[in-house]
Amino acid sequence: MHTDAAVTCEDLRKSFVVHHHVYGSLKVAAVNALRRRPREVIEVLKGISLSIPCGQTVAIIGRNGSGKSTFLSLVARVYRPSSGSIVVNGRVAPLLELGAGFHPDLTGLENIELYGSILGMSRREIRERMDAIVAFAFDTPDLAAKVDTPLRNYSEGMKMRLGFSIAVHTEPDILLVDEVLAVGDEAFQAKCFRRIEEVQRQKRTIIFVSHDMNVVQRAASRTIWLDSGIIRMDGATDEVVRSYLAFSGQA
Amino acid sequence: MIQDVRELWRFRELLWQLVRRDLKVRYKNSKLGFFWSIAPPLMQVACITFVFKYAGFAAHFRSYSAYVLVAIIPWTFFQTAILDASQSILLMYGVIKKVYLPREVVPLSSTIANFIHFLLSWGVFFAYLLLYVRAPILPTIVWFPYLIVVQLVLVTGLSLLVACLNVFYEDVKYITSVLLNLLFFLLPVMYVVEQVYYSPMFAEPGRGWLRALYMVNPMASLINGYRKCLLEPPHPSAIGGHQSLPLDPGNLLLTGAISVAILVGCYAYFNSRKWQFVERP
Repeated sequence: MHTDAAVTCEDLRKSFVVHHHVYGSLKVAAVNALRRRPREVIEVLKGISLSIPCGQTVAIIGRNGSGKSTFLSLVARVYRPSSGSIVVNGRVAPLLELGAGFHPDLTGLENIELYGSILGMSRREIRERMDAIVAFAFDTPDLAAKVDTPLRNYSEGMKMRLGFSIAVHTEPDILLVDEVLAVGDEAFQAKCFRRIEEVQRQKRTIIFVSHDMNVVQRAASRTIWLDSGIIRMDGATDEVVRSYLAFSGQA
Repeated sequence: MIQDVRELWRFRELLWQLVRRDLKVRYKNSKLGFFWSIAPPLMQVACITFVFKYAGFAAHFRSYSAYVLVAIIPWTFFQTAILDASQSILLMYGVIKKVYLPREVVPLSSTIANFIHFLLSWGVFFAYLLLYVRAPILPTIVWFPYLIVVQLVLVTGLSLLVACLNVFYEDVKYITSVLLNLLFFLLPVMYVVEQVYYSPMFAEPGRGWLRALYMVNPMASLINGYRKCLLEPPHPSAIGGHQSLPLDPGNLLLTGAISVAILVGCYAYFNSRKWQFVERP
Protein backbone atom coordinates (compact mmCIF):
# COMPACT_ATOMS: atom_id res chain seq x y z
CA MET A 1 0.00 0.00 0.00
CA HIS A 2 1.26 3.50 -0.81
CA THR A 3 1.66 5.91 2.01
CA ASP A 4 0.99 8.79 -0.38
CA ALA A 5 -2.27 7.33 -1.67
CA ALA A 6 -5.36 9.51 -1.39
CA VAL A 7 -7.74 6.58 -1.76
CA THR A 8 -6.95 2.90 -1.41
CA CYS A 9 -9.51 0.14 -1.63
CA GLU A 10 -9.12 -3.55 -1.25
CA ASP A 11 -11.86 -5.87 -2.56
CA LEU A 12 -14.47 -3.19 -1.84
CA ARG A 13 -18.04 -4.44 -1.97
CA LYS A 14 -21.35 -2.72 -1.38
CA SER A 15 -24.77 -4.34 -1.31
CA PHE A 16 -28.20 -2.87 -0.84
CA VAL A 17 -31.42 -4.46 0.29
CA VAL A 18 -34.11 -4.01 -2.31
CA HIS A 19 -37.54 -3.27 -0.96
CA HIS A 20 -40.18 -4.16 -3.49
CA HIS A 21 -42.86 -3.05 -1.09
CA VAL A 22 -42.36 0.35 0.38
CA TYR A 23 -42.55 0.12 4.13
CA GLY A 24 -42.00 3.66 5.20
CA SER A 25 -44.41 3.36 8.09
CA LEU A 26 -44.79 1.36 11.27
CA LYS A 27 -48.23 0.30 10.16
CA VAL A 28 -47.01 -1.35 6.97
CA ALA A 29 -43.93 -2.73 8.71
CA ALA A 30 -46.17 -4.47 11.23
CA VAL A 31 -48.28 -5.99 8.44
CA ASN A 32 -45.18 -7.10 6.53
CA ALA A 33 -43.68 -8.69 9.61
CA LEU A 34 -46.65 -11.05 9.67
CA ARG A 35 -46.33 -11.93 5.99
CA ARG A 36 -42.56 -12.45 6.01
CA ARG A 37 -41.36 -11.43 2.60
CA PRO A 38 -37.92 -12.64 1.58
CA ARG A 39 -35.36 -9.86 1.38
CA GLU A 40 -33.58 -9.39 -1.89
CA VAL A 41 -30.02 -8.10 -1.80
CA ILE A 42 -28.25 -6.67 -4.80
CA GLU A 43 -24.50 -6.15 -4.94
CA VAL A 44 -23.71 -2.84 -6.61
CA LEU A 45 -19.93 -2.98 -6.21
CA LYS A 46 -18.47 -6.45 -6.58
CA GLY A 47 -14.93 -6.24 -5.33
CA ILE A 48 -13.10 -3.08 -6.34
CA SER A 49 -9.36 -2.89 -5.67
CA LEU A 50 -7.51 0.24 -6.64
CA SER A 51 -5.24 2.95 -5.41
CA ILE A 52 -5.42 6.61 -6.33
CA PRO A 53 -2.24 8.53 -5.57
CA CYS A 54 -2.42 12.07 -4.19
CA GLY A 55 -2.68 14.74 -6.86
CA GLN A 56 -4.14 12.53 -9.56
CA THR A 57 -7.29 13.43 -11.48
CA VAL A 58 -9.34 10.32 -12.12
CA ALA A 59 -12.49 10.03 -14.19
CA ILE A 60 -14.96 7.25 -13.59
CA ILE A 61 -17.09 6.26 -16.55
CA GLY A 62 -19.61 3.55 -17.20
CA ARG A 63 -23.24 2.98 -17.99
CA ASN A 64 -26.06 3.98 -15.65
CA GLY A 65 -26.23 1.63 -12.70
CA SER A 66 -22.64 0.51 -13.00
CA GLY A 67 -21.80 1.72 -9.48
CA LYS A 68 -20.08 5.05 -10.18
CA SER A 69 -22.07 7.13 -7.72
CA THR A 70 -22.00 4.39 -5.11
CA PHE A 71 -18.22 4.44 -5.35
CA LEU A 72 -18.10 8.21 -4.87
CA SER A 73 -20.41 7.92 -1.86
CA LEU A 74 -18.09 5.33 -0.34
CA VAL A 75 -15.14 7.71 -0.80
CA ALA A 76 -17.22 10.47 0.80
CA ARG A 77 -17.87 8.13 3.79
CA VAL A 78 -21.62 8.43 3.30
CA TYR A 79 -21.90 4.67 2.85
CA ARG A 80 -20.13 2.02 4.84
CA PRO A 81 -18.67 -0.83 2.77
CA SER A 82 -20.47 -4.17 3.04
CA SER A 83 -17.09 -5.89 2.98
CA GLY A 84 -13.55 -5.10 1.98
CA SER A 85 -11.85 -1.88 2.93
CA ILE A 86 -11.50 1.69 1.80
CA VAL A 87 -8.95 4.09 3.25
CA VAL A 88 -9.28 7.79 2.49
CA ASN A 89 -6.53 10.22 3.44
CA GLY A 90 -7.43 13.86 3.82
CA ARG A 91 -10.46 16.09 3.72
CA VAL A 92 -13.08 15.20 1.14
CA ALA A 93 -15.41 17.78 -0.37
CA PRO A 94 -18.21 16.48 -2.50
CA LEU A 95 -19.47 18.61 -5.34
CA LEU A 96 -22.63 16.59 -5.52
CA GLU A 97 -26.10 18.07 -5.89
CA LEU A 98 -24.98 21.53 -5.00
CA GLY A 99 -26.79 23.47 -2.37
CA ALA A 100 -28.56 20.62 -0.60
CA GLY A 101 -27.64 22.28 2.70
CA PHE A 102 -28.95 25.72 1.87
CA HIS A 103 -31.77 27.27 3.84
CA PRO A 104 -34.14 29.54 1.89
CA ASP A 105 -34.80 31.92 4.79
CA LEU A 106 -31.17 32.74 5.40
CA THR A 107 -29.18 35.25 3.38
CA GLY A 108 -26.45 34.29 0.93
CA LEU A 109 -23.75 35.18 3.45
CA GLU A 110 -25.39 33.17 6.23
CA ASN A 111 -25.74 30.23 3.87
CA ILE A 112 -22.04 30.41 3.02
CA GLU A 113 -21.27 30.06 6.73
CA LEU A 114 -23.70 27.17 7.09
CA TYR A 115 -22.80 25.23 3.96
CA GLY A 116 -19.09 25.87 4.53
CA SER A 117 -19.25 24.27 7.95
CA ILE A 118 -21.28 21.35 6.59
CA LEU A 119 -18.40 20.80 4.16
CA GLY A 120 -15.96 20.84 7.06
CA MET A 121 -14.54 24.37 7.07
CA SER A 122 -13.76 26.01 10.38
CA ARG A 123 -15.28 29.39 11.14
CA ARG A 124 -11.93 31.10 10.73
CA GLU A 125 -11.46 29.54 7.29
CA ILE A 126 -14.93 30.63 6.24
CA ARG A 127 -14.33 34.20 7.36
CA GLU A 128 -11.02 34.34 5.51
CA ARG A 129 -12.48 33.00 2.25
CA MET A 130 -15.85 34.73 2.38
CA ASP A 131 -14.87 37.49 -0.07
CA ALA A 132 -13.31 35.05 -2.52
CA ILE A 133 -16.41 32.83 -2.43
CA VAL A 134 -18.74 35.75 -3.09
CA ALA A 135 -16.51 37.16 -5.83
CA PHE A 136 -16.28 33.78 -7.56
CA ALA A 137 -20.02 33.12 -7.49
CA PHE A 138 -21.24 36.60 -8.35
CA ASP A 139 -19.07 38.43 -10.79
CA THR A 140 -21.40 41.29 -11.65
CA PRO A 141 -22.22 44.05 -9.13
CA ASP A 142 -25.99 43.56 -9.36
CA LEU A 143 -25.62 39.87 -8.49
CA ALA A 144 -23.18 40.61 -5.69
CA ALA A 145 -25.63 43.11 -4.24
CA LYS A 146 -28.04 40.24 -3.59
CA VAL A 147 -25.68 38.44 -1.26
CA ASP A 148 -27.33 39.74 1.90
CA THR A 149 -30.88 38.96 0.84
CA PRO A 150 -32.64 35.66 1.68
CA LEU A 151 -31.81 32.77 -0.60
CA ARG A 152 -35.40 32.30 -1.70
CA ASN A 153 -34.95 35.38 -3.90
CA TYR A 154 -32.18 33.60 -5.81
CA SER A 155 -32.64 31.87 -9.13
CA GLU A 156 -31.72 28.18 -9.40
CA GLY A 157 -28.65 29.14 -11.39
CA MET A 158 -27.46 31.54 -8.72
CA LYS A 159 -27.88 28.90 -6.01
CA MET A 160 -25.82 26.45 -8.02
CA ARG A 161 -23.10 29.01 -8.60
CA LEU A 162 -22.95 29.75 -4.90
CA GLY A 163 -22.84 26.04 -4.05
CA PHE A 164 -20.03 25.39 -6.50
CA SER A 165 -18.11 28.37 -5.27
CA ILE A 166 -18.28 27.26 -1.62
CA ALA A 167 -17.29 23.69 -2.45
CA VAL A 168 -14.21 24.61 -4.46
CA HIS A 169 -13.10 27.09 -1.80
CA THR A 170 -13.07 24.46 0.96
CA GLU A 171 -9.63 23.57 -0.44
CA PRO A 172 -10.21 19.86 0.04
CA ASP A 173 -7.52 17.22 -0.32
CA ILE A 174 -9.93 15.21 -2.43
CA LEU A 175 -12.62 16.79 -4.57
CA LEU A 176 -15.52 14.61 -5.68
CA VAL A 177 -17.49 15.76 -8.71
CA ASP A 178 -20.63 13.98 -9.82
CA GLU A 179 -21.95 15.18 -13.20
CA VAL A 180 -22.34 18.76 -12.10
CA LEU A 181 -20.01 20.60 -14.42
CA ALA A 182 -23.05 21.75 -16.32
CA VAL A 183 -23.45 24.64 -13.87
CA GLY A 184 -24.57 28.06 -14.97
CA ASP A 185 -23.94 29.81 -18.25
CA GLU A 186 -21.00 29.25 -20.55
CA ALA A 187 -18.84 31.93 -18.97
CA PHE A 188 -19.35 30.41 -15.55
CA GLN A 189 -18.61 26.91 -16.82
CA ALA A 190 -15.33 28.10 -18.28
CA LYS A 191 -14.55 29.66 -14.92
CA CYS A 192 -15.34 26.38 -13.14
CA PHE A 193 -12.94 24.58 -15.44
CA ARG A 194 -10.18 27.08 -14.75
CA ARG A 195 -10.79 26.63 -11.04
CA ILE A 196 -10.64 22.84 -11.36
CA GLU A 197 -7.38 23.12 -13.29
CA GLU A 198 -6.08 25.33 -10.51
CA VAL A 199 -7.04 22.64 -7.99
CA GLN A 200 -5.13 20.14 -10.17
CA ARG A 201 -2.06 22.36 -10.17
CA GLN A 202 -2.22 22.54 -6.37
CA LYS A 203 -1.64 18.78 -6.44
CA ARG A 204 -5.01 17.93 -5.00
CA THR A 205 -6.83 14.76 -5.91
CA ILE A 206 -9.98 14.95 -8.03
CA ILE A 207 -12.33 12.04 -8.65
CA PHE A 208 -15.17 12.74 -11.01
CA VAL A 209 -17.99 10.93 -12.70
CA SER A 210 -19.07 12.00 -16.15
CA HIS A 211 -20.82 10.80 -19.26
CA ASP A 212 -19.29 13.59 -21.29
CA MET A 213 -16.19 12.12 -22.91
CA ASN A 214 -14.93 15.56 -23.95
CA VAL A 215 -14.83 16.59 -20.30
CA VAL A 216 -13.16 13.31 -19.36
CA GLN A 217 -10.47 13.69 -22.00
CA ARG A 218 -9.87 17.29 -21.17
CA ALA A 219 -9.56 16.92 -17.40
CA ALA A 220 -8.48 13.41 -16.44
CA SER A 221 -5.15 11.69 -16.87
CA ARG A 222 -6.47 8.35 -15.72
CA THR A 223 -9.87 6.80 -16.32
CA ILE A 224 -11.61 3.90 -14.64
CA TRP A 225 -14.40 2.15 -16.52
CA LEU A 226 -16.91 0.49 -14.23
CA ASP A 227 -19.22 -2.14 -15.63
CA SER A 228 -21.87 -3.80 -13.42
CA GLY A 229 -19.85 -3.22 -10.28
CA ILE A 230 -16.43 -4.39 -11.42
CA ILE A 231 -13.51 -2.55 -12.96
CA ARG A 232 -13.67 -3.28 -16.67
CA MET A 233 -10.63 -1.20 -17.50
CA ASP A 234 -8.27 1.12 -15.66
CA GLY A 235 -5.58 3.12 -17.39
CA ALA A 236 -4.62 6.16 -19.45
CA THR A 237 -7.68 8.20 -20.39
CA ASP A 238 -7.27 8.06 -24.18
CA GLU A 239 -7.03 4.31 -24.23
CA VAL A 240 -9.94 3.66 -21.85
CA VAL A 241 -12.22 6.18 -23.52
CA ARG A 242 -11.48 4.67 -26.95
CA SER A 243 -12.40 1.16 -25.77
CA TYR A 244 -15.46 2.44 -23.95
CA LEU A 245 -16.74 4.29 -27.01
CA ALA A 246 -16.08 1.28 -29.22
CA PHE A 247 -17.96 -0.91 -26.76
CA SER A 248 -20.89 1.51 -26.41
CA GLY A 249 -21.07 1.91 -30.18
CA GLN A 250 -21.59 -1.76 -30.84
CA ALA A 251 -23.96 -2.28 -27.93
CA MET B 1 -19.98 4.88 22.17
CA ILE B 2 -17.00 6.86 23.54
CA GLN B 3 -15.61 6.96 20.02
CA ASP B 4 -18.90 8.34 18.75
CA VAL B 5 -18.84 11.08 21.37
CA ARG B 6 -15.25 11.97 20.42
CA GLU B 7 -16.22 12.20 16.74
CA LEU B 8 -19.16 14.39 17.73
CA TRP B 9 -16.80 16.69 19.64
CA ARG B 10 -14.68 17.08 16.50
CA PHE B 11 -17.78 18.38 14.73
CA ARG B 12 -18.81 20.82 17.47
CA GLU B 13 -18.40 23.84 15.18
CA LEU B 14 -20.88 22.38 12.70
CA LEU B 15 -23.23 21.57 15.58
CA TRP B 16 -23.07 25.18 16.70
CA GLN B 17 -23.63 26.48 13.16
CA LEU B 18 -26.77 24.35 12.86
CA VAL B 19 -28.03 25.58 16.23
CA ARG B 20 -27.49 29.15 15.07
CA ARG B 21 -29.33 28.39 11.85
CA ASP B 22 -32.34 27.02 13.74
CA LEU B 23 -32.50 30.01 16.08
CA LYS B 24 -31.98 32.55 13.31
CA VAL B 25 -34.70 31.04 11.16
CA ARG B 26 -37.03 30.79 14.13
CA TYR B 27 -36.58 34.37 15.34
CA LYS B 28 -36.16 35.92 11.94
CA ASN B 29 -39.52 35.01 10.50
CA SER B 30 -41.28 37.53 12.68
CA LYS B 31 -40.59 41.10 13.64
CA LEU B 32 -40.98 40.37 17.34
CA GLY B 33 -38.64 37.37 17.18
CA PHE B 34 -38.38 35.64 20.52
CA PHE B 35 -41.54 37.17 21.98
CA TRP B 36 -43.61 35.97 19.08
CA SER B 37 -42.53 32.39 19.64
CA ILE B 38 -43.34 32.51 23.34
CA ALA B 39 -46.86 33.83 22.71
CA PRO B 40 -48.57 30.43 22.19
CA PRO B 41 -47.57 28.97 25.59
CA LEU B 42 -48.56 32.23 27.27
CA MET B 43 -51.99 32.06 25.68
CA GLN B 44 -52.22 28.46 26.84
CA VAL B 45 -51.49 29.65 30.39
CA ALA B 46 -54.21 32.29 30.12
CA CYS B 47 -56.80 29.77 28.92
CA ILE B 48 -55.95 27.09 31.46
CA THR B 49 -56.00 29.66 34.26
CA PHE B 50 -59.34 30.98 33.13
CA VAL B 51 -60.97 27.55 32.88
CA PHE B 52 -59.59 26.18 36.10
CA LYS B 53 -60.29 29.26 38.13
CA TYR B 54 -63.77 29.87 36.80
CA ALA B 55 -64.86 26.26 36.46
CA GLY B 56 -63.92 25.92 40.08
CA PHE B 57 -61.17 23.27 40.03
CA ALA B 58 -58.67 25.77 41.31
CA ALA B 59 -60.90 28.50 42.68
CA HIS B 60 -59.01 28.84 45.97
CA PHE B 61 -55.57 29.29 44.46
CA ARG B 62 -53.69 32.54 44.79
CA SER B 63 -52.08 33.41 41.43
CA TYR B 64 -52.87 30.08 39.79
CA SER B 65 -51.35 31.39 36.55
CA ALA B 66 -47.86 31.19 38.09
CA TYR B 67 -48.39 27.49 38.88
CA VAL B 68 -49.44 26.88 35.29
CA LEU B 69 -46.66 28.98 33.74
CA VAL B 70 -43.95 27.19 35.71
CA ALA B 71 -45.19 23.91 34.23
CA ILE B 72 -45.97 25.08 30.71
CA ILE B 73 -42.39 26.21 30.06
CA PRO B 74 -40.78 22.78 30.62
CA TRP B 75 -43.72 21.08 28.91
CA THR B 76 -43.37 23.25 25.81
CA PHE B 77 -39.65 22.45 25.64
CA PHE B 78 -40.36 18.74 25.99
CA GLN B 79 -43.05 18.71 23.33
CA THR B 80 -41.46 21.02 20.75
CA ALA B 81 -37.99 19.55 21.04
CA ILE B 82 -39.19 15.99 20.48
CA LEU B 83 -41.48 16.93 17.59
CA ASP B 84 -38.79 19.05 15.91
CA ALA B 85 -36.23 16.28 16.33
CA SER B 86 -38.57 13.73 14.78
CA GLN B 87 -38.46 15.58 11.47
CA SER B 88 -34.89 16.85 11.68
CA ILE B 89 -33.10 14.07 9.85
CA LEU B 90 -35.50 13.90 6.94
CA LEU B 91 -35.27 17.68 6.54
CA MET B 92 -31.50 17.34 6.17
CA TYR B 93 -31.71 14.14 4.16
CA GLY B 94 -30.29 15.75 1.02
CA VAL B 95 -27.14 16.70 2.92
CA ILE B 96 -26.79 13.43 4.80
CA LYS B 97 -26.90 11.48 1.54
CA LYS B 98 -24.01 13.47 0.13
CA VAL B 99 -21.72 14.64 2.91
CA TYR B 100 -20.12 12.83 5.80
CA LEU B 101 -21.08 14.16 9.22
CA PRO B 102 -21.90 12.41 12.46
CA ARG B 103 -25.63 11.84 12.09
CA GLU B 104 -26.45 12.79 15.66
CA VAL B 105 -25.38 16.37 14.90
CA VAL B 106 -28.72 16.90 13.17
CA PRO B 107 -31.22 15.98 15.93
CA LEU B 108 -28.86 17.37 18.58
CA SER B 109 -28.70 20.78 16.93
CA SER B 110 -32.49 20.94 16.85
CA THR B 111 -32.68 19.92 20.52
CA ILE B 112 -30.03 22.44 21.58
CA ALA B 113 -31.79 25.26 19.72
CA ASN B 114 -34.99 24.39 21.57
CA PHE B 115 -33.04 24.21 24.82
CA ILE B 116 -31.69 27.74 24.34
CA HIS B 117 -35.22 28.93 23.67
CA PHE B 118 -36.30 27.13 26.85
CA LEU B 119 -33.63 28.91 28.90
CA LEU B 120 -34.72 32.30 27.52
CA SER B 121 -38.35 31.47 28.32
CA TRP B 122 -37.50 31.27 32.01
CA GLY B 123 -36.76 34.99 31.83
CA VAL B 124 -40.46 35.53 31.15
CA PHE B 125 -41.38 33.39 34.15
CA PHE B 126 -39.06 35.20 36.53
CA ALA B 127 -40.19 38.60 35.28
CA TYR B 128 -43.79 37.54 35.91
CA LEU B 129 -42.97 36.09 39.31
CA LEU B 130 -41.00 39.06 40.61
CA LEU B 131 -42.80 41.98 38.98
CA TYR B 132 -46.41 40.84 38.87
CA VAL B 133 -46.97 38.12 41.47
CA ARG B 134 -44.30 39.71 43.70
CA ALA B 135 -43.44 36.34 45.20
CA PRO B 136 -40.08 35.74 46.86
CA ILE B 137 -37.32 33.51 45.43
CA LEU B 138 -37.22 30.39 47.62
CA PRO B 139 -34.00 28.75 48.88
CA THR B 140 -35.08 25.55 47.11
CA ILE B 141 -34.07 27.28 43.87
CA VAL B 142 -30.74 25.48 44.28
CA TRP B 143 -32.54 22.52 42.67
CA PHE B 144 -33.42 24.54 39.60
CA PRO B 145 -30.15 24.04 37.64
CA TYR B 146 -30.25 20.33 38.44
CA LEU B 147 -33.78 20.03 37.02
CA ILE B 148 -32.80 21.87 33.86
CA VAL B 149 -29.83 19.60 33.24
CA VAL B 150 -31.85 16.45 33.93
CA GLN B 151 -34.57 17.60 31.56
CA LEU B 152 -32.00 18.31 28.85
CA VAL B 153 -30.63 14.78 29.29
CA LEU B 154 -34.11 13.25 29.11
CA VAL B 155 -35.21 15.29 26.09
CA THR B 156 -31.95 14.60 24.22
CA GLY B 157 -32.36 10.87 24.71
CA LEU B 158 -35.95 10.79 23.51
CA SER B 159 -35.15 13.13 20.60
CA LEU B 160 -32.44 10.78 19.34
CA LEU B 161 -34.84 7.84 19.54
CA VAL B 162 -37.71 9.55 17.76
CA ALA B 163 -35.43 11.11 15.11
CA CYS B 164 -33.94 7.72 14.32
CA LEU B 165 -37.24 5.85 14.16
CA ASN B 166 -38.84 8.49 11.95
CA VAL B 167 -36.20 7.91 9.25
CA PHE B 168 -37.41 4.35 8.78
CA TYR B 169 -41.06 4.76 9.68
CA GLU B 170 -42.42 8.11 8.65
CA ASP B 171 -45.60 7.75 10.68
CA VAL B 172 -43.59 7.85 13.92
CA LYS B 173 -43.88 11.64 13.75
CA TYR B 174 -47.68 11.45 13.88
CA ILE B 175 -47.74 8.72 16.50
CA THR B 176 -45.39 10.82 18.65
CA SER B 177 -47.62 13.83 18.30
CA VAL B 178 -50.68 11.84 19.41
CA LEU B 179 -48.80 10.34 22.36
CA LEU B 180 -47.59 13.79 23.42
CA ASN B 181 -51.13 15.12 23.37
CA LEU B 182 -52.21 12.29 25.65
CA LEU B 183 -49.21 12.71 27.93
CA PHE B 184 -50.16 16.34 28.50
CA PHE B 185 -53.16 15.18 30.55
CA LEU B 186 -51.10 12.72 32.55
CA LEU B 187 -48.70 15.41 33.71
CA PRO B 188 -49.38 17.93 36.46
CA VAL B 189 -49.44 20.90 34.09
CA MET B 190 -53.07 22.05 34.27
CA TYR B 191 -53.49 20.83 37.83
CA VAL B 192 -51.16 20.37 40.78
CA VAL B 193 -49.83 17.00 41.84
CA GLU B 194 -51.66 17.03 45.19
CA GLN B 195 -55.00 16.87 43.39
CA VAL B 196 -53.98 13.49 42.00
CA TYR B 197 -51.97 12.30 44.95
CA TYR B 198 -54.80 12.72 47.47
CA SER B 199 -57.47 11.44 45.10
CA PRO B 200 -59.91 9.13 46.90
CA MET B 201 -59.55 6.73 43.97
CA PHE B 202 -56.08 5.77 45.16
CA ALA B 203 -57.38 4.99 48.65
CA GLU B 204 -59.07 1.86 47.30
CA PRO B 205 -57.04 -1.30 47.85
CA GLY B 206 -54.70 -2.37 45.05
CA ARG B 207 -54.41 1.09 43.52
CA GLY B 208 -51.20 2.17 45.25
CA TRP B 209 -49.00 1.04 42.33
CA LEU B 210 -50.90 3.36 39.99
CA ARG B 211 -50.05 6.34 42.13
CA ALA B 212 -46.41 5.21 42.38
CA LEU B 213 -46.32 4.90 38.60
CA TYR B 214 -47.72 8.41 38.20
CA MET B 215 -45.07 9.84 40.52
CA VAL B 216 -42.14 7.99 38.94
CA ASN B 217 -42.82 9.29 35.41
CA PRO B 218 -39.70 11.42 34.85
CA MET B 219 -41.57 14.28 33.19
CA ALA B 220 -44.22 14.40 35.97
CA SER B 221 -41.42 14.37 38.50
CA LEU B 222 -39.59 17.22 36.74
CA ILE B 223 -42.64 19.44 36.35
CA ASN B 224 -43.54 18.85 39.96
CA GLY B 225 -39.92 19.59 40.88
CA TYR B 226 -39.91 22.96 39.07
CA ARG B 227 -43.09 23.92 40.87
CA LYS B 228 -41.82 22.93 44.29
CA CYS B 229 -38.48 24.62 43.94
CA LEU B 230 -39.73 27.92 42.51
CA LEU B 231 -43.15 28.51 44.06
CA GLU B 232 -44.53 28.45 47.57
CA PRO B 233 -46.71 25.42 48.27
CA PRO B 234 -50.43 26.02 47.68
CA HIS B 235 -52.50 26.72 50.79
CA PRO B 236 -54.26 23.59 52.17
CA SER B 237 -57.64 25.22 51.48
CA ALA B 238 -56.81 25.19 47.74
CA ILE B 239 -56.13 21.45 47.66
CA GLY B 240 -59.01 20.06 49.65
CA GLY B 241 -57.56 20.63 53.10
CA HIS B 242 -54.54 18.35 52.53
CA GLN B 243 -50.97 19.23 53.37
CA SER B 244 -49.04 20.12 50.22
CA LEU B 245 -46.31 17.64 49.34
CA PRO B 246 -42.75 18.81 50.04
CA LEU B 247 -39.98 18.76 47.42
CA ASP B 248 -38.83 15.13 47.29
CA PRO B 249 -35.05 14.85 46.69
CA GLY B 250 -35.19 11.05 46.47
CA ASN B 251 -37.75 11.20 43.66
CA LEU B 252 -35.71 13.85 41.79
CA LEU B 253 -32.48 11.85 42.05
CA LEU B 254 -34.30 8.79 40.75
CA THR B 255 -35.55 10.88 37.82
CA GLY B 256 -31.96 11.94 37.13
CA ALA B 257 -30.86 8.30 37.05
CA ILE B 258 -33.76 7.28 34.78
CA SER B 259 -33.00 10.17 32.41
CA VAL B 260 -29.31 9.24 32.11
CA ALA B 261 -30.32 5.63 31.44
CA ILE B 262 -32.75 6.77 28.73
CA LEU B 263 -30.08 8.92 27.08
CA VAL B 264 -27.47 6.15 27.09
CA GLY B 265 -29.94 3.58 25.80
CA CYS B 266 -31.34 5.81 23.07
CA TYR B 267 -27.91 6.99 21.93
CA ALA B 268 -26.73 3.39 21.71
CA TYR B 269 -29.76 2.52 19.61
CA PHE B 270 -29.23 5.59 17.40
CA ASN B 271 -25.60 4.63 16.82
CA SER B 272 -26.56 1.08 15.90
CA ARG B 273 -28.77 2.37 13.09
CA LYS B 274 -27.27 5.68 11.99
CA TRP B 275 -25.33 4.25 9.05
CA GLN B 276 -28.48 2.76 7.61
CA PHE B 277 -30.18 6.16 7.34
CA VAL B 278 -28.92 6.66 3.78
CA GLU B 279 -30.07 3.18 2.78
CA ARG B 280 -33.61 3.47 4.04
CA PRO B 281 -36.32 1.99 1.83
